[in-house]
Amino acid sequence: MSEEMTKLSFEKQIEKIQQADLVVGIPSYNNVRTIGHVVRAVIAGLAKYFPKARAVLINSDGGSTDGTQEMVKRVQIEDFKTILTSHPVHPIQKIVTPYHGIPGKGSAFKMIFAGATSLRAKACAVVDSDLRSITPEWVELLIRPIYEEGFDYVAPLYARHKFDGTITNSIVYPMTRALYGKRVRQPIGGDFGFSGNLAQHYLTQEVWETDVARFGIDIWMTTLAIAEGYRVCQSYLGAKIHDAKDPGSDLGPMFTQVVSSVYRLMEDYEPLWKDVKESQSVPTFGFHYEVGLEPIAVKLERMIANFRLGVKDLMEIWIKALSPETAHWLKSISQLSDEAFSFPQDLWVRIIYDFAVAYHKGFVHRDHLLRSMIPLYLGKVASFVKENIDCSASEVEERIEHLCKTFEEMKPYLIERWGEG
Amino acid sequence: MGEVWKVAVIESFNKFLGKVITFLPNLLAMITILILGWVIAWFVKTIVFLFLKAIQFDKISERWGLTLLFAQRGITYSPAHLLSRFFYWVIILITLILGINALEVAATQQAISQFFNYLPHLFAALILLVIGYLIAIFLGQAILISAVNAQMESAKWMARSVRWFIIILSWTMALYHLGIAEKVIVAAFSITFGGIVLALAIAFGWGGKDLAKDFLERHYKRKEKEEGTRDDLSHL
Repeated sequence: MSEEMTKLSFEKQIEKIQQADLVVGIPSYNNVRTIGHVVRAVIAGLAKYFPKARAVLINSDGGSTDGTQEMVKRVQIEDFKTILTSHPVHPIQKIVTPYHGIPGKGSAFKMIFAGATSLRAKACAVVDSDLRSITPEWVELLIRPIYEEGFDYVAPLYARHKFDGTITNSIVYPMTRALYGKRVRQPIGGDFGFSGNLAQHYLTQEVWETDVARFGIDIWMTTLAIAEGYRVCQSYLGAKIHDAKDPGSDLGPMFTQVVSSVYRLMEDYEPLWKDVKESQSVPTFGFHYEVGLEPIAVKLERMIANFRLGVKDLMEIWIKALSPETAHWLKSISQLSDEAFSFPQDLWVRIIYDFAVAYHKGFVHRDHLLRSMIPLYLGKVASFVKENIDCSASEVEERIEHLCKTFEEMKPYLIERWGEG
Repeated sequence: MGEVWKVAVIESFNKFLGKVITFLPNLLAMITILILGWVIAWFVKTIVFLFLKAIQFDKISERWGLTLLFAQRGITYSPAHLLSRFFYWVIILITLILGINALEVAATQQAISQFFNYLPHLFAALILLVIGYLIAIFLGQAILISAVNAQMESAKWMARSVRWFIIILSWTMALYHLGIAEKVIVAAFSITFGGIVLALAIAFGWGGKDLAKDFLERHYKRKEKEEGTRDDLSHL
């Protein structure tokens, strides 16, 4: 379907519905295996917790060829009594539409923001289409703080395996916290709640040709909400279990798009983050409980080998971003045996800050700079896994807390280097 | 006798004076061209320098590896400074040639005409060399990073090979464009490049057939093995 035709069909569907109180968006691409469960959970959640509200479900699809769109149209809950939910006063409407633009999650979200704005929705939520662990309660936890408590943005809080979310734990969470002063634990969680006003604000931003249109959307939404003074909270959703996929396949683009978004946002909000001195916790909703998580396999030797290869071959690029002492420090840890291998926290923080400065000042071509960071990241992850192999989830959380404090303590180093001629 | 001598001297003097009078405007034209050329050159140099500073050309050059290239050759001037001076000297050179041309000396006219015909080729060759170098640096760096991220031990070797191949290709193209030993250049490049490819093919396919077999076996076995032992980490 051409862009014009899609737009017309989307506008027609919006016109037919006219107005909605709640909008739940589901971006998708070839998720026929899981999207049926996600749609059922969303419909049940809306019926159970918001039976009187006018609700619309928008599926923004990236051109699936496996019948994802047909599945969304087909899925219904015939008898709400079977899942102990009230029958909604207004039928839950569905809009299934392909999106155009750069292929990626961000472009799909843009369509959802457009729908929410046109329908003048009060509260919205977006959930991933490959979720296996979503329950109707997620809808309540993401929407109620906005619909009834006056918040503008709800970030998710999950129970995750101690080694999951390594980009979040080692870069995005500590950086967001140190820079903008809000302790949002999962800034790139993927499932969010936001107000209609915020959706409208997102839609008016000129970012849809950048990495924000891809994996950068999550950190962009969270940062914008925090930095522009919207009321932010988080909701505990329980375990997050995705559909099985190859986790290594997307690391390169995933890493560069997320990190480039973090670094680009630093340029946009430079006056703001320079003035933030300490971080504060944000209100948290939901009932916290422990969940059993499946063990995950990690190939430490391969990660350490990749780090060593990086030190051997990529130093000529890194040296443009790092100070000579940092480069020397990296060389010395690359010579450690696998058993003794350890990546000190101070060194990691210094590297992340040095690369932020190099990105800002354009010392190296930006894409090359970010892609060259991957061996460093793998070295840090390997060290983190090694150090925490026998630790409990709460002990690991303490170590992440310590890393965050190191990021906050070393912020003057970042400010000093950022300002250097 | 004295009268004849007098007439001869005066005539000769008049002729000389006539020539001087004819030549003088040309000389003045040359001096004017030189002064104007120098002023224009100075003006262009300043404008180009300010423009390059405004677009942060030095930073861009650093990113592309030009600054490093100059530093390695002992050149301490900034790229913006060097490029603006390049424009200055090009204008000065053109001015000098135009000045000499203004004298209307028959011997120099043809040489100058040939020089101006050749000038576009010289510029084209220079542009080919600069673009070739920039592409070589960019692609070399991109290949190096991709190969390291794919955990290839020979990453540096691959990156260097690509870099040198592009540099040699751009030099070949530049020399061909200048018309310097065209046939020799094309033949030398074809023989060298063809030779390298043939040598690699023979070495790998014949001399190293066991190595090739071993490599392919290990590659596929490793791939199969990796599929069974992949990391389960979710990075986001």
